[in-house]
Amino acid sequence: MSETSFPFKDLMRRKFQTSIVVVSITLCVAATLLLLLFSNEIGIGISSAIEGRLTAGFSAVFSRFVLFIGILIFILGVVIVSFMSFLMMSQRTRDIGLMKAAGCPNERIRYYFRTELLLIIFLGCFLGVISGILSNFVLTNFFSISGVQPQQVSINLWFIFLVFLTFFFIGVIVGGKPISDAIKVEPSKAISPTQYHGLNRGSSFKAISKSRFAMRIALRSLQRHKSATIRIILCLTLVFTLLTVAVAGGVIADQTSKNWVERAVGSNEVLIANQEVCDQYELLLSKFYVANQSSEFNYTQESYLIPEELLSQLNQSISGISIDPRLITEANITEVPGIAIDQNTGQPNYVGSNREGTSLVIGVEPGKVLNDWFTDGEFLQAGQQWKAVIGDSIAQEMFSEPLVESLTAFNNGFGIVGVCIDPINNGKVIYVPLENLQKAAHVPEINNVTQVNMVLIKIDLPVNYEETLNQIRTLVNETYPQFGVLELNALLNKSLGFLDQMWSTIMFLPAFSLVAAAICLVGYVMLSINEQRQELGILRAVGATPRTIIKIISAQSFIVLLSCYAIGIIAGISIVWLILVPELLITGSAMAEIIGLLLIVFATVFVFALYPAIKFSKRCVLEMMS
Amino acid sequence: MKTEKTAVLASSLCKTYEIGDVKIEVLKDVNLKVETGEFVVISGASGSGKTTLLNLISSIDKPTSGKIVVFDNDLSGKNEDFLAGFRCLNIGFVFQSYNLVSTLTVAENVAFPMEWAQEPGAQIRKQIEELLELVGLQHRADHFPSQLSGGEQQRVAFARALANDPPLFLVDEPTGNLDAKTSAKISQILERLKANGKTIITATHDEQIFALANQKLYLENGKLENLG
Repeated sequence: MSETSFPFKDLMRRKFQTSIVVVSITLCVAATLLLLLFSNEIGIGISSAIEGRLTAGFSAVFSRFVLFIGILIFILGVVIVSFMSFLMMSQRTRDIGLMKAAGCPNERIRYYFRTELLLIIFLGCFLGVISGILSNFVLTNFFSISGVQPQQVSINLWFIFLVFLTFFFIGVIVGGKPISDAIKVEPSKAISPTQYHGLNRGSSFKAISKSRFAMRIALRSLQRHKSATIRIILCLTLVFTLLTVAVAGGVIADQTSKNWVERAVGSNEVLIANQEVCDQYELLLSKFYVANQSSEFNYTQESYLIPEELLSQLNQSISGISIDPRLITEANITEVPGIAIDQNTGQPNYVGSNREGTSLVIGVEPGKVLNDWFTDGEFLQAGQQWKAVIGDSIAQEMFSEPLVESLTAFNNGFGIVGVCIDPINNGKVIYVPLENLQKAAHVPEINNVTQVNMVLIKIDLPVNYEETLNQIRTLVNETYPQFGVLELNALLNKSLGFLDQMWSTIMFLPAFSLVAAAICLVGYVMLSINEQRQELGILRAVGATPRTIIKIISAQSFIVLLSCYAIGIIAGISIVWLILVPELLITGSAMAEIIGLLLIVFATVFVFALYPAIKFSKRCVLEMMS
Repeated sequence: MKTEKTAVLASSLCKTYEIGDVKIEVLKDVNLKVETGEFVVISGASGSGKTTLLNLISSIDKPTSGKIVVFDNDLSGKNEDFLAGFRCLNIGFVFQSYNLVSTLTVAENVAFPMEWAQEPGAQIRKQIEELLELVGLQHRADHFPSQLSGGEQQRVAFARALANDPPLFLVDEPTGNLDAKTSAKISQILERLKANGKTIITATHDEQIFALANQKLYLENGKLENLG
């Protein structure tokens, strides 16, 4: 066989082993590329906040998730590439030993196996890039069809080339080590697995001797190929951490973020306002999930103000409701720097500058507010004057440390007491006391007019929601037909549906890595079977049933999986808890969903790993022993 | 089982291996009858099919054609679970290359066929002690196979084959890799088994073992010849 043809022929003759290495590398590269390309297109890229949709607070949570998942997928990719290279070379140690024993020079052996490594890594990375681009294309189109319009971002070829090069070099460098190690092993040791795997050392772990037969062999085998065991444990631990962050984090963050939206928009609430204000309010809320531009709108027109009679009729004729009158308008606002005390020097420092911008300003009566925003700081209290709570996006765009700063609107100063997460107008909103806004905005005082342009009404359960809603509609239509009733539940559901879709996308992103990890586990099981093949054959010859063989092999997979599962889940939950989502909301159903999903993943990977065991157990005894 | 007259009955046994397009006929129309308590020695050149014949009798390999009946059980159409259980309780196989499980200690290697036979723990421990004493390896109970010499591994293989006290022993080249002193020890064990009324079929060229035989067979070109 010529020097150049050996690596090709060798790889072709080991089709199955070659395929699983190539497929796992392909999946790792594809997963990383897909994550980077697709997250960029849906606007929650690792470094970029979403444009036009979501608020800064939501965007930050999504981006933190994508960043963490990105880091984990990348590390996992490196570990898998390293593991598969190691696996490939571990299975060749004996061949290398035989080649050395037969007199083949080390350099030639190195050349053969390095060429194999280069071919496999190149093929895996190349197919990974192609698969990543295709998956991105498919996913983008799928989301376009299902209603979420991804941004049209042109694919950066240099960026793709960078991903290719990164994985290629990591694969070559990491995969080269086992080759060097295998070449350094003395031929006698390389030929004898007993020596190479340290079987003559006996077990120092006494508990193993007391365990059941299948478990005893499984535990000793794990100890026997310690290096591969450590690598697969590291790899699967990362996988389960990644999955926990994606699944548990996704479910928790989904519920938490939906709770934020629900608290901000309000459930079972309706808005009564002039029909044009209703339409405008709907547009402002829809900015959370559709990139909309609103045109100029004069909120304080006289015709938009709510007649006092309407409010009193609502109060008198409909029971089981709470009323929250509001004045909504738009204003130019200016940041007013504040003073913060330096923690180290104790010296006062000016914080902020004089940034200007436009924001929605909503006047509320603090004692009557129906909503309960997720707020950093506090919301407006009854009796508080010239104070403001600002939305998360305006806080991020215009303020350095909002809680020590203040703002001016309509030439009046407002001290900032809180930052709330609010989907309306994408978080570009400011809440101030109603009385102060009426004065500052010079809302005309007209007889029998309330000086508010919208009223939020909460239908307090357990009254019949539909019946009460109909009563409100009838009352408004009969008395003031130019006013409309906007049901907020529908808008809330759209926002929640959008969040659901975003989280589902994020939870889908690690799917490739999961498949790659499952292939790794299959590879590990195959290595394990390969090493024990003869012994398992002996067991069969002496009277073990095929089921006993499956038990032994599956016990190994189970031990590995369970240990990784436990560590991965603890690490994943800790990341979600400590870093990713502030003020977590974990409900019973969320817990059940998380446990269910993670158990399904565990079971799927376990069943997947059983395949080589079942296949092997069906072989005839002599074939096993040969 | 021990009361049965015929231990092994093989009729018109053929075994052909296919390697690519090439067919290798290892056994051609082999007929064999072994009575209970008989000591049968099979000899023949290397590659003549001795191991294949023992593998077929033990049911770890299947004949291309022909029938094997062991203790009145026709093994031809039986499933793997039945065959595994049958081997465990009725056949003690000592392989040429010892074939011990490297991840189990000497005691554990001897114990596992008994564990499968659902023997009580105390009985297993007692049996291990007795068997290791029989093969002279009590002091090596906690050692792993890789820590033993070839002769010691062969004796452990005998102890394992004796574990469930099977009525039939198949012994493949038991002294092939051993020195004269160790070979003598193995012959002693076989002699003791014969004295205990066990049926033994062994493939060997060892003269000491030949001397123990009731029936001497010679395998050549896939055909079995009776030497008396």
